[in-house]
Amino acid sequence: MVPLSWYLVVAFILIGLGAYGMMVKRNLIRILIGAEIMGNGVNIALVAFALYSPTFNLTAQGLIILVISVAAAHTALALVLMLMYNRRYDTVDLGRPVDREVA
Amino acid sequence: MQADPVFQLFEQVEFILIAGIVIVLAYLALEHKEIVYAAFFFGFMASIVAGFFLLLEAPFIAGMQIAVYTGGISALIIFGVLLLPRAQDSSLETFPSGRKRKIGLLLSGFVAAISATLALLFPWAESFDEIVVDMSQDLGALAEWLWVENSIYVQMIAIIMITSLIGAVALLKMDKAEQMGSIQGEFGIEAEVEIEDEPEPEPESVDEEPEPEATEEEDA
Repeated sequence: MVPLSWYLVVAFILIGLGAYGMMVKRNLIRILIGAEIMGNGVNIALVAFALYSPTFNLTAQGLIILVISVAAAHTALALVLMLMYNRRYDTVDLGRPVDREVA
Repeated sequence: MQADPVFQLFEQVEFILIAGIVIVLAYLALEHKEIVYAAFFFGFMASIVAGFFLLLEAPFIAGMQIAVYTGGISALIIFGVLLLPRAQDSSLETFPSGRKRKIGLLLSGFVAAISATLALLFPWAESFDEIVVDMSQDLGALAEWLWVENSIYVQMIAIIMITSLIGAVALLKMDKAEQMGSIQGEFGIEAEVEIEDEPEPEPESVDEEPEPEATEEEDA
C-alpha cells in the first residue's frame, strides 16, 4: 500500500513546480502550463485524501469533476486573454510592457 | 489482496516510476527551450498523472483526466502556440537578471512549504488514520451526489463557466471589431471621426470643372 504522505509529496512537488513556472517565466504560454501543473498537483492531493477518508470519498470525486471542467474553461479564457495581450502589446513577454514604461 | 507484500511492493514501485516520470515531464514542460515540445511534454505529463488516479482506484477520474487535460487543454495550449508565433521566441527563456529568477525560486519554494505545512501539520490531518477506504465506483451515486445533493454548486459553476466563455468570445469579437473600425457612433472610437473628416476636400475640386463645359453646349 502506498502511504498518503507519498502522494502528498508528489502533489507538493507539482504545486511548487507550477508556482515556479508562474512566478519566474516570462512567456505567457509557459505561465499557463505552470498553472495547469499546479492544478494537477491539487487534483492528486484531493483524490489521495479521498482514498484515506470514508466521509470524503464521493465528495472528492465530485469536486474533481467540477475542478477539471473549470480548468478547461479557464484555459480557454486564458488563451483569449493571451491573444488580446499579443494584439495590444505585440509580444507575449509578460515583463516587456513594464520594462517599456520604466524606460 | 492489499495485504499481499508482493502486491504492495509492486504498487510502490509503480508509484515511484509514475512519480519520477511525472516530475521529469513537468520540469521539461517548464524548462524546455522549444515551447511546442514543452506543450507536448505537458500533454504527456497530464496523461501519466491519470496513472496516479488508477492507482488510487478512481478510473472514472483517470478517464476524465485523459479526455480533458490531454485531449482538450494540451490541444488548446498547442493552438495557442500556433496562434501566437511570438511565443516560440527562445529569447523569452533567458533572464535579464538572475535576481528575479532567485526571487521566483524562493517564492515557489515558499508556496510548496506552506501547502505542505497546511496539509501535514494542521489538526485535521490527524483525522486521516491511514486506513484505506474502498473508492466508490458507483457512477449512479456520484451523479446523485452531483445533481441531487449539490446541484446548486453545479449550477453556480456552470453559470460561472458559461459567463467566462461568453465573456471570452465577446472580448475577442470586440477587439476585432475595434480593429476593423465597424463600431461607430456616439459610443464608438474617437479616432473614426478624424478619419471621416479628411476625404471631404477632394469632391469639391472635381465638381468645379464640368460646369463651364455645360454652359458652352447651351450657347451653341
